Amino acid sequence: MDVEGEPLDRRLSRADMLRLAALAAGAGVVAGPAAAADAAIARLTKETGRLQVMDWAGYGNDGGQSMFAAYVKKYPNNKPQFASPMTNETNAYGRIRAGAHPDLFRPYVGWVKFFAQSGLVQPWNPKLIRNFEHLNPFMVKAGQYRGKQYGIPDDWGFDAILYRKDKVHPKSNSWGLLFDERYKGKIAWFDDLEMITIAGLYLKAKNPWNQTSSELKRSVNFLKSKKHVARFNWSSETDLWQAFGSGEVWIAYAWPNDWVQMKKKLPVVYMHPKEKPIAWVGMFMLLKNSPRPHLAHAYVDAWSSARSGKWLEDNYGYGHANVEAKPSSSQLLKALQLANPKAVTLPNAYLDRDIPQRSTYANLWEEVKRA
Amino acid sequence: MTQAAAAPSRRRRRLKLAMPALLGLPVSWLVVFLVAPAVIVALYSVNELSLFPGPHSFALGGWYRLFHGGFMSLFWKSAKMSLIVSALVVAAAYPLAYFLALSGTRRKYVLLLLLIAPFLTSYLLRVLAWKVILSDGGVINTFLVWLHLEAHGHSLSFLLYSRFAVMLVLGYVWLPFVALPIFVTLETLDFRLLEAASDLYASRLQAFLRVTLPLSLPGVVAAFLFVFIPTVGEFVTPSLVGGQAGYMYGNQIVDLFATGFPDWETGAALALFLIGVIAVLTIVFVRFLRIGEARAA
Repeated sequence: MDVEGEPLDRRLSRADMLRLAALAAGAGVVAGPAAAADAAIARLTKETGRLQVMDWAGYGNDGGQSMFAAYVKKYPNNKPQFASPMTNETNAYGRIRAGAHPDLFRPYVGWVKFFAQSGLVQPWNPKLIRNFEHLNPFMVKAGQYRGKQYGIPDDWGFDAILYRKDKVHPKSNSWGLLFDERYKGKIAWFDDLEMITIAGLYLKAKNPWNQTSSELKRSVNFLKSKKHVARFNWSSETDLWQAFGSGEVWIAYAWPNDWVQMKKKLPVVYMHPKEKPIAWVGMFMLLKNSPRPHLAHAYVDAWSSARSGKWLEDNYGYGHANVEAKPSSSQLLKALQLANPKAVTLPNAYLDRDIPQRSTYANLWEEVKRA
Repeated sequence: MTQAAAAPSRRRRRLKLAMPALLGLPVSWLVVFLVAPAVIVALYSVNELSLFPGPHSFALGGWYRLFHGGFMSLFWKSAKMSLIVSALVVAAAYPLAYFLALSGTRRKYVLLLLLIAPFLTSYLLRVLAWKVILSDGGVINTFLVWLHLEAHGHSLSFLLYSRFAVMLVLGYVWLPFVALPIFVTLETLDFRLLEAASDLYASRLQAFLRVTLPLSLPGVVAAFLFVFIPTVGEFVTPSLVGGQAGYMYGNQIVDLFATGFPDWETGAALALFLIGVIAVLTIVFVRFLRIGEARAA
């Protein structure tokens, strides 16, 4: 069956679903329903070639193999092939628009609406993802657009501040530490338009993700006036680790994994700012013209298992959308509130969201950088 | 007689055929890999091509933003940094090339090989190595602490993530490129002119200023351009060692294409402006050289 170019919903017609169910029921007597469903899907789709994945550094064959080991075991002839890592969602968007053809990629929650509206992606069929029922319902909902499941949640974490407790003495737990003159030259910002949101959050904008023009002006002027305190803007975690590890910076915008890595060698604190951290959730998205949609579902299913989730939590310090995944370390569990299914939302944190004026925010961030 | 007349005409015909054949490949190369991409970039800059789907028409928004969006001050900052690097590197490379070309040492080619030896390793590695040298806990700061010239924990922070760091690393990276054209010019110098200067009672300094330097000027200018052209649009080195202060025009082009939110229209205008400036500079320098050569002749 040639599936190229058709939406997934249409590809699995009612007759196909009935056939699939019949096959599953028949084979289930011998090998169990799950294996039968897999066999049926494979027979039904006849998808070939290696699964094309566009993901972030550390999530492919460069360290993240455990996340999709079950998929590789099941589909050895369709192993994932990773495009060069995403550096940000814009980078992914530009590459896809310019002709890259991954089967799936993984932007973060603030981009679900953008990509769903872009016409580049198609909704997933949650029925084909066995672990879907174990995924955090709040995060599942965050992956929906107009009632359809465009994003399958996977890893999650926070944007907050990491600092050296032996060198830094914050006046209060606040995003203001990123702009503290006392530590001029020892601070690293993040090279992303999110800095405009953070400035808005710190300056108490009504909606930091959709600031009014006067609020935006205030945020940008504030960032320009504080630019000299930041030694550099990091865009790669390895750069941050190198600078933090060597003592070049003591304070940084950071993710939980940065805290996990740095606390191995340095006395560090991962601050929970009083203005609240920003929470993010990774979302697998399926490309519209993917020739391997069922393999993509199988890949995401492997990622969504409790086993993969536990590995991610233990090794990267990120949360996982599978609520049954529990890290080995109780310290990690407590620090990142991995046992709290609503950790990513209020009153604990602001879940990252769509930025309606994204291009304006981006232009303003560029203005700050070249100021 | 007829046969004798026919031979040069055949030779001329063969030459006429050989010229397009010889020029065909390089010209095609330039058309496919320089002219065509430049035209595509130009079409992006006026919105005739767009990253976004849907209708789009000719617009000069990208060009307007280039001249009114604060990009020009960034360009001047990059141009200044690049000019300083080019001038300093040429000044540093000239004595080196002079020694290698005119000292008469038999080992000059070995020394030349040593000069270009860093090119045997990757560009990225060479830049990253500087991070180790310049960082707070790096070679220089550790040495200064060891000499008790600075207190532990109070390192010279301007060494890394600064304009200084960018210029230092760029200078290091491009030094061999500068030394080579100067070396070639000096090596092909007609030494009889120096002997003549000496016979006419010119001092060594006078001979250098009035003979060697003017005659080696084409090499110097070429060397200067070899550094200025790539460094003015540089983005790898400032990304790695520049930090907030070392952000350059090339970084802005990359960011407009790939970070924040894609603005290929403005990014393309910035890229074309850079190409234009470099083309004009090259033409001016070449004309200057021709005038200089004509005067010397």
